[in-house]
Amino acid sequence: MDGEIAAEGGRGILGTRAGRALAANWAAGFLLLMLIVFSLTGRNFLSIVNFQNVIQIQTVPFLLAAAETFVVITGGIDLSVGFVMGLASVGAARIMQLMLAASVAPGWAIAAAIAAVLVGSLLPGLVNGIVITKFKVPPFIATMGMFGIANGLALKISQGFPLGGLPDQLSAIGNGYLLYVLPGEFVSLFSRPASIPYARIREIARLVPLTLPFIVIALAALSFALKRARFGRHTYAIGGSMDAAVRSGIAVDRHLVKVYVLSSFLAGLAGVVNIFQTGIGNYTTFNAQYEFFAVAAVVLGGASLAGGKGRIWSSALGVLVLAFLENGLAISGILPFYRYIAVGVLLVVAVVIDKLFPDAR
Amino acid sequence: MKKTIVAILVVLMVALIAMPSVAQAKPRMLFVPGVVDPFYTMMEKGIRAAAAKDGVDVTVSEYPKAWGPENQIPILQAAVAAGKYDIVLIAPTSTDALKAPLKAIYDKGTEIITVDTYIGDGNYTKAGTDYGFPLAYIGTDNYLGGKQMAENLAKLVGEKGKVFCEATNPDTSSVVDRVKGFTAGVAEFPNMLLAGVEWCQDVQQNAQQQVLNALQINKDIVGIFGLNVFSAQGASQAVINAGLAGAVKMCLWDATVPNIDNLKKGNADLVLAQKPAEIGSLAVDAGAKYLKDKKPIPNKKIVPGFVFFTAQNVNDPSMDQFIYK
Repeated sequence: MDGEIAAEGGRGILGTRAGRALAANWAAGFLLLMLIVFSLTGRNFLSIVNFQNVIQIQTVPFLLAAAETFVVITGGIDLSVGFVMGLASVGAARIMQLMLAASVAPGWAIAAAIAAVLVGSLLPGLVNGIVITKFKVPPFIATMGMFGIANGLALKISQGFPLGGLPDQLSAIGNGYLLYVLPGEFVSLFSRPASIPYARIREIARLVPLTLPFIVIALAALSFALKRARFGRHTYAIGGSMDAAVRSGIAVDRHLVKVYVLSSFLAGLAGVVNIFQTGIGNYTTFNAQYEFFAVAAVVLGGASLAGGKGRIWSSALGVLVLAFLENGLAISGILPFYRYIAVGVLLVVAVVIDKLFPDAR
Repeated sequence: MKKTIVAILVVLMVALIAMPSVAQAKPRMLFVPGVVDPFYTMMEKGIRAAAAKDGVDVTVSEYPKAWGPENQIPILQAAVAAGKYDIVLIAPTSTDALKAPLKAIYDKGTEIITVDTYIGDGNYTKAGTDYGFPLAYIGTDNYLGGKQMAENLAKLVGEKGKVFCEATNPDTSSVVDRVKGFTAGVAEFPNMLLAGVEWCQDVQQNAQQQVLNALQINKDIVGIFGLNVFSAQGASQAVINAGLAGAVKMCLWDATVPNIDNLKKGNADLVLAQKPAEIGSLAVDAGAKYLKDKKPIPNKKIVPGFVFFTAQNVNDPSMDQFIYK
């Protein structure tokens, strides 16, 4: 059936080399088109400040989409990433609170909390992986179970309160920029000169959010692991054909466990980023739906929910498509409910293109 | 001997028959919060404290994970089915959608008190409506709070310039009243302009993005009103992200620890603290009194006040009681 649809879709302009190239890169093309259109319709859309803002606050979604990419390539899904992120955030905050109360220096408290949370975040993935491989529970159900467990634990730790009173360094680093420039007056590294009065803050240009090099390096490392390392080849092989992967000697169950562990580790890392950006420990609210937006970004990036396809940078592109769609429509004055419709339509288009051109990306 | 045994058995039987009625003499109340957040957690504390004082058995339902009648109604109905209650204390998550489920509970003999939010327009004494059945609405005067926020923000920005309102769920009475009050308050100052209102649906990340967008559209925004826990925290975060902390005046609703921290650090200028624990304790007190005396609550409304945290009083030990923690 898919083949028939693809064959029909392959006729006409879409059957040409240009058409296939368009299908293969439609998300990038769409992003470019959005940037052009919103530059005309949205006041101050086309500005380095806006682009930096968007990238800065997408650091968490970038990590969650990367986590989901590995899982989706294996033909699975991880619905627990959003709540594991929230659990990591409140877990780290609670550890910091306890250490600060015990008069530990803020720097050590931050370092210890990060280390503990990153190690601890391996556990949900390990449980997910074992439940999926040993007990043959479908990933959707297994990770939905973890979704509830992580949410409950986060609420238990936080008692329903955001956890504050954390070191100022967190927010300063998480929201810091590499360069602060006031043309003709100063260029300052990492912070603006304290002598600048509030009235002149708006004149300062801030360049390169500190989270940008972090996320670029993280995504590059993950992309390398997926494309060049044996880990990635096995991931694609399992998603392409589980039977063939078994026949070729891949320890499929063991590898799947590793993939789910990596996914929850990246969700834990997202929780750490979240605490740096917000300066507080935040449980994930139910409406936030981080996991669904992560899956959406991965699909927009060209991964197939059937497995075997997907790339880290393409998923990052998917995150940017969703982010700029939301940002551009908002800046153009479009009401929120139209924005939800736009995101929904875009997702359907992505899946239709995947069906029409199964080998395009 | 036989007579003694018979007498003991009779006494035991009487005692057994009498026991349930003795147990039921203690009033039973059910609290159904609006959503899992610090405000309702504080309200639960107030309810439990008052219940212990008044001799009331109180049950707290599961906290809805997200705001909205689709989440709250099943929890309400399950909790009511699981026990017999004299009074349900509830923060309705919709002015309309909760009318019918609450009326059904009321018709079976359970009284209703709405806390923090209301059904209909909140005026339960108005004739000819389908929402006059609750005993009372107990909650902050949100319109007044919103208006006073606007007036205070006006003072902070020199009564001129563009201001922005980050709100949450548009179908909630308390939220709508705050927005209306803030809008009316801003309108009193001819040189001020409300540049926009956005709705984050109780998601801090949405609030952050929406305020960043607003600051991008109107680079001359001078003040922001963050209208509830999540809106306020997200709005503060956006202003910090944008490097405008201190340059944009921030008025935040709800005295969570992060909001108070932001005030102490100079990232915010004013924090309005409701009195959720007091709302909870007033609801239990009023309910217990009604069950005892059967006298209606005057005007079917009780309005506790609110307090403002400023840079001047934030470290005052007497203000500590108003922080949600």
